[in-house]
Amino acid sequence: MSLAALRADFEGFEGTPADLIPVLQRIQVLHGFISKDSVHLISRWLKISENEIYGVATFFAQFRFKRPGDHVIKVCLGTACHVRGGEQILDVFRRRLGIQPGEATPDGMYQLERVACLGCCALAPVLSLDDKVHGQTSVLQVRDLLGGREPSEDS
Amino acid sequence: MSPKPIRAKNARTIAIQLDHRAASCPEGVTVLRAAELNGVFIPSLCSHKDLSPFGGCRLCMVEIDGMRGYPLACSTVVQDGMSVLTETTAIREMRRDILELMLSEHPSSCLICTEQAECRENQYTIRKSGVSTGCRTCPKDGQCELQSLVEKLGVSEIRHPVYYRGYEAEHDDPFFDRDYNLCILCGRCVRMCQEVRGASVLAFMNRGPKTQIGPAFGRSHVEAGCEFCGACVSVCPTGALVDKASKWDGKPDGAEISTCPFCALGCQVELHHKNGRLSKVHPHLDHEINDGQLCVRGRFCLPETTHHHERARKPVLKRGRYFREVDWPEALEDVASRLRGLEAGDFLMLISPDLTNESLYTAQKFVRSVLRTNSIDSTARWALPGGTGVWSRLFSLPISIEALAHADAIIAVGLDSRFYFSVAGVQIRRALREGAVLVTIDSRDSNLARVADHWLRSAPGMEGRVLRAMVERLFSGDAGAAPHAAAGCGIEEVSLAKAVRSIASCRSLAVVVSPSAFAVDPGGELAEALFRLEGREQTTFLPLMHGTNTRGALELGALGELLPGFEKADDAARVSLADVLEGRARPKVLYLVGEAPFFERPPCEYVIAQDIYLPPFEVDAFLPAASFVEAEGTLTNVEGRVQRSAAVEHLPDGARTGRVRPDWMIFSMLAETLSADGLHFANAGEVLCEISRRVAGFPASGDRRPRRTSPTVDILPRGAGAHPPADSARRLIAEPGGFRHRGIDLSHVVEGLSELRLEEGLRLHPDDLEELGVKDGDRIVVHVDGMNVTGTARADADCAPRSVTVHRPHAYGGLAHRQGLQCLYRFDGRLLNVTVSGHRNS
Ligand code: SF4
Ligand code: SF4
Ligand code: SF4
Ligand code: FES
Ligand code: FES
Repeated sequence: MSLAALRADFEGFEGTPADLIPVLQRIQVLHGFISKDSVHLISRWLKISENEIYGVATFFAQFRFKRPGDHVIKVCLGTACHVRGGEQILDVFRRRLGIQPGEATPDGMYQLERVACLGCCALAPVLSLDDKVHGQTSVLQVRDLLGGREPSEDS
Repeated sequence: MSPKPIRAKNARTIAIQLDHRAASCPEGVTVLRAAELNGVFIPSLCSHKDLSPFGGCRLCMVEIDGMRGYPLACSTVVQDGMSVLTETTAIREMRRDILELMLSEHPSSCLICTEQAECRENQYTIRKSGVSTGCRTCPKDGQCELQSLVEKLGVSEIRHPVYYRGYEAEHDDPFFDRDYNLCILCGRCVRMCQEVRGASVLAFMNRGPKTQIGPAFGRSHVEAGCEFCGACVSVCPTGALVDKASKWDGKPDGAEISTCPFCALGCQVELHHKNGRLSKVHPHLDHEINDGQLCVRGRFCLPETTHHHERARKPVLKRGRYFREVDWPEALEDVASRLRGLEAGDFLMLISPDLTNESLYTAQKFVRSVLRTNSIDSTARWALPGGTGVWSRLFSLPISIEALAHADAIIAVGLDSRFYFSVAGVQIRRALREGAVLVTIDSRDSNLARVADHWLRSAPGMEGRVLRAMVERLFSGDAGAAPHAAAGCGIEEVSLAKAVRSIASCRSLAVVVSPSAFAVDPGGELAEALFRLEGREQTTFLPLMHGTNTRGALELGALGELLPGFEKADDAARVSLADVLEGRARPKVLYLVGEAPFFERPPCEYVIAQDIYLPPFEVDAFLPAASFVEAEGTLTNVEGRVQRSAAVEHLPDGARTGRVRPDWMIFSMLAETLSADGLHFANAGEVLCEISRRVAGFPASGDRRPRRTSPTVDILPRGAGAHPPADSARRLIAEPGGFRHRGIDLSHVVEGLSELRLEEGLRLHPDDLEELGVKDGDRIVVHVDGMNVTGTARADADCAPRSVTVHRPHAYGGLAHRQGLQCLYRFDGRLLNVTVSGHRNS
């Protein structure tokens, strides 16, 4: 992406430092995350250093700096799911994918997230893969869900 | 540190009550400052005089009549008649509570340990632990603001759960270490880096309990573009940020105010010494020049330059195939025997523009009155492109560093102030915060271009013509557009017109021109533009050149054609540096004083080197000179201030300490050996007295006001002007490198500087590298003027597109990686078309 392309995405913005947060939000919507390159371009455009931009952005939980995975796994750790073993389910994903919640696998396939409540507590423990919710999950089910994907080496 | 008077113009004095006592202070200051001015102590950790109020630590809370709660003294402005209570039982309790909270997240075992006193007496070696677990193992022990507040407020227990953050200490960057386990998040470093330095390397990251300080994406400071100015380190109240080199030196014994020996700005520094040795350097709060700021060289490079293990401290003579350490009388006799009975043309002295006024003056007097020749020359000449005439006139302009900070408009030509002339950059930022307009003229991207209102990106070497065009229009309005159009300079007419319009209405104007810009302006258009501007009211200048005392060298006769005070010298049989380099002359005896502008031994019968390091080639006699901390003297800065360089190391002669002598004293001893009169000086002060008698306007002592010279030298004819570059080729920019001191390259002796690799290789814009199909670090061949030169390519996003930049050092010592580039250096000042071809490293 070039500065010109970035500007084309942002017609209507004046390019003053006050635009920073709306610009970041828009980038996240357009690209799904905020890359180092976009931070660099925003820095030149708004005349704010990359470090300041990163500082401001990390203050808000909404911004992410890594490309999200293609498939998003959300493991519920709300009260009901927690009580019924959600933590163990999350652990299995952690180990099998070799990543922490909030991260994506290096091949960009899966994204692991921890959520507070998916709104179907009766089915606890609950997880969702992309838009499909799976209830009363078990450790064994996780393997099936990942479709025979081998455990990551460093697990 | 003594409080500095507030600079607010005509501040009215108002009356207030402090703890029921009548007090007074200037209008508009904070309660904290008012208390400080009246000698009342209010604890504070996050406020700092140069930084905006932050209100982070809340230690400075006070009670104010008519205000609810506990306002913060650091961010409340005093009002006439205000009544303030700085310490009540409630406040004291709350302050203690705050400190306890801070300590619960700070390695504080020692602060609350009951055996504190005994420990301080007896446990020395524990300092060597790599991680600070308490004050006794912290490098800031005894100099820490948190520690002293805890002692003052008498906190001796922590009633909160203790938490250790467990961050890894950061040791990988040069010059300073960071241990954010000790950080109290006061934000001083962040504000310093953002507000004052404008580098914005540091920011608060994340929030809540995970808040941490550092650059984006967990980058190192080098990657994040840190200037290593050390300003953050200087304001850190705790041991979180500390100098690497002096980390475990402990509290210094004392400090002397001195002048930075590394560039022509002449920043005022405090030389902190411990056990008779220089420990570290801090900026002095001298508002006329640097006001508490320095650059990487002044802040971090002095100790290593003088203490490096390669320092040569004893006289050496070559005897047959061997080198022998000798004592002074023997060395002097050997040198003197070679100096007796020389004919005109047999001798040349080369002297560094980094020497003190006293040494420069004595050197030329030695050459002229003892050896009876004008054969003295200096690389100062290379730092003064355009010739001595132009520069003697430039020095007659009103030159001011401080004026930058108060100007309404600033034009900066070719200046990137991250590593060179940083302090000028800081002053420019100060002006920008007050609403000044900044125009930069530069073919390259720079830290200033990034914040400029107008960046006129000219073609390389066209900066002078753009400045001239601007000046013409300033005087004649848009009607003056005709004579010097911007065409051919790579600037669009509208941008030029806009820039001119934005400064036309400003009252005060400051113009700063960097050495890199002067170096590619052989036509002298920059100087011409500056002279033309002299007629404008409220206009100040800052023409910059490399070399610490280049102005002193010019004024005191270190260039053969000029006697001290700009008098013309007799030209008969004078040998110059250019004569030797171009093979026109081959003097029998070559005397190098702090200069080594050769890679190999020059073809002379007898070569004398007088320096603080051995030159990179064989010499017949080496005379060890005292370094900037070992001898007193004065240095002339770009404004003409004659400033004191203090000695803090007084080493007795000895096997380990060597037998160094100030340069002027060596000339004086030599004259005595040759039974010549007129060079007996008891101390540097006597030399300065003689200079002041000889050179009109030169102060005898203690007067560091700026001086303007009276231009008496004719301006010599100029070279041809620069031409816009041909489309197909790239331009070669061989610009002077600044990291030198005397005969050495600072990047060679200061390890941190070499890590930064600032002046290395052939620098190209990353797009250019991509076009050539090579990567950073690959070898490339530059074809120029019928020669092929191979060097390492370096990607540098600041470079002008379609150009190749090479730093041309004035001192060649120890620069193995530069040797191959040697033949490029002779293109100083001329822009040449080059073609480049690259091959990958296999
Ligand atoms: S050394 Fe200077 S530029 Fe680097 S982080 Fe500190 S204040 Fe900023
Ligand atoms: S590193 Fe030092 S100056 Fe910076 S926030 Fe922490 S304690 Fe304050
Ligand atoms: S700007 Fe110049 S005088 Fe100031 S600290 Fe740096 S090298 Fe020294
Ligand atoms: S707690 Fe898991 S779905 Fe509600
Ligand atoms: S000094 Fe006032 S809040 Fe820190």
